[in-house]
Amino acid sequence: MGDGRRTSFFLQALLLAFLYLFLYFPIFYIAFLSFVENTTWPFPPLYTLEWYSRLAIMSDFHEGLFNSLLIGLGTGALAALFATAGAMALLRYPVRRKALVALLYLGPLFVAEVLIGISTLMFNRNVLGLPGNLFSAILSNTTHALAFAFLVVLSQLVRYDWRMDDAAMVFGARPLRCFFEVTLPSIWPAVLGAFLVSFLLAFNNFEISFYNLGAVPTLPTIAWGTLRHGIEPELYALATLVNLAVFVALLLLYLLIRTGLVRIGLPED
Amino acid sequence: MTPVLDLQAVEKRFGAVTALSEVDLTIDRGEFFALLGPSGSGKTTMLRVIAGLERPDRGRVLVEGREVTALPPYLRNIGMVFQDFLLFPHKTVGENIVFPLRMQRRSRAEQQEQLAWVSRLVRLQGLEERYPHQLSGGQKQRVALARGLVSRPTLLLLDEPLANLDRELRREMEVEIRRYQRELGIPFVYVTHNQEEALTIADRMAVMYRGRIEQVGDKLDLYMRPETRFVAGFLGHPNRFSARVLEIADGRMLLDWNGVRLRQERRFETRAGETVELFLKSERIRLCRRPDEAAALPNRVPGRLQDAIFKGVFADCFVTLNNGAELVVAATPDAAGIPRESPVTLAWDIADAHAFPVEQEGGGS
Repeated sequence: MGDGRRTSFFLQALLLAFLYLFLYFPIFYIAFLSFVENTTWPFPPLYTLEWYSRLAIMSDFHEGLFNSLLIGLGTGALAALFATAGAMALLRYPVRRKALVALLYLGPLFVAEVLIGISTLMFNRNVLGLPGNLFSAILSNTTHALAFAFLVVLSQLVRYDWRMDDAAMVFGARPLRCFFEVTLPSIWPAVLGAFLVSFLLAFNNFEISFYNLGAVPTLPTIAWGTLRHGIEPELYALATLVNLAVFVALLLLYLLIRTGLVRIGLPED
Repeated sequence: MTPVLDLQAVEKRFGAVTALSEVDLTIDRGEFFALLGPSGSGKTTMLRVIAGLERPDRGRVLVEGREVTALPPYLRNIGMVFQDFLLFPHKTVGENIVFPLRMQRRSRAEQQEQLAWVSRLVRLQGLEERYPHQLSGGQKQRVALARGLVSRPTLLLLDEPLANLDRELRREMEVEIRRYQRELGIPFVYVTHNQEEALTIADRMAVMYRGRIEQVGDKLDLYMRPETRFVAGFLGHPNRFSARVLEIADGRMLLDWNGVRLRQERRFETRAGETVELFLKSERIRLCRRPDEAAALPNRVPGRLQDAIFKGVFADCFVTLNNGAELVVAATPDAAGIPRESPVTLAWDIADAHAFPVEQEGGGS
């Protein structure tokens, strides 16, 4: 009996280990590769920091990083704003055919990113007369990220008690004041979540940004560009740095939650 | 004198549901007014219309003679205490209480002054730095009251404020709330579905049913002289039975109740042969062990005592009458000592029961 239980525990642990390996091996392998000289067959590895120093002096990467950050921040802010406004309207006010309205928000989820890229480019250029630039790239990425952001906000906001806003208004708060004094302090984790998701989607996006920007570099388009003349090890260094930033952000969030500085979700009262 | 609140033919529909229909109501200065009704009768909608949280489809709302029908809630200076307290979870008790003053841009000094005053009034001193989740139910209730009162509003609305408190605390808070109302002289409109609470706490009250005000007036009047069938059947949980009209003379009716003759006041048009419904509160019935004790009263019905439950101040007696009906009587507590199956006589006066024409199911009042 005890043996059987131990075996089952062992199997479960093995399964879990395999799962994590599956999830993280490619990421760690790239991190490992970014520190070796003999990248094609790194056994035994010859350690070096050359790729990082080369990355540091490539001005393309700096420009790409800057552009990607800009697209990420812009998209994150816009998508979080629109998603919050949309979810609030849907939940707070009597809306007819709520499910349909919500579903229509999610449309871009099911459209291939390439198509969003091409169609937003066509629309921006032919209909609006906008040139392809960072601004149109932010707008187009927002089209895409909004659906995800909306889902994130909606899933949290269904638990918010809107009578709290009624109370604030009865006690003299105008709508904007009410939002910042009462609603936002309760729902900000949802808004932050929507921002982070949209930021990462736009930061890492290739197709939409590429069609809207053309020759203007972002990190993903640079990565793709270098790919055409063979994978260069600088890419490993780049990928490792980006992944590191994401992990540090996640770790920070985890620590904040553990120490109780940040509460995900709404308070019980 | 202009009333503090004046509702004129207010109507509110939600889709196919009529939540309020032609509601007229005035509330005067310094009044403690209760709105009583079963759930779904429209009383909460009425509070929300008064507060400005719902816009009526028809009719007008006047506060101190000024029309506010289209005014948003934040321009009305009406205080409110919500059923689930609805304290702002990210603000301390003190911040919650001074919130209305901050919204009115009162000076910091005045905020602190009013906070000190209202904390003393509702006995919350020392809790100002706590957060709502660190408070007990009763303390939350006091914070909600303090927040409602702190700006000395024209009117305080209370929406089932004690529904979430246990019985003991409810008793205590009923007394407290009455005290605040007396001390401040602000008119209170108190919504509840609990008739004991409404009768205890208010001076005047209205009974609502299906979006209409059935009757409004002094609470004793409503209890003793119900004007509609609903109020008669609702207040005091009375006995209810039907009888046939035999004769009508001198503003009185002679009724046949399964072979028993009853004499009853006639307060509406009816003809011999029609059926009327009677509502008889259990404390209006006299329980007599000897038939001659009841000789002075016009209505006397013999029966047998089935059970008597001692309740302290009185005893609930269940009596099966010789005509087959069963009535509940609130008798003096010593009735609990009467042996079961003893013959008893129940007696009451012509004005003790309230008669109404029998209505078809689903009809209005």
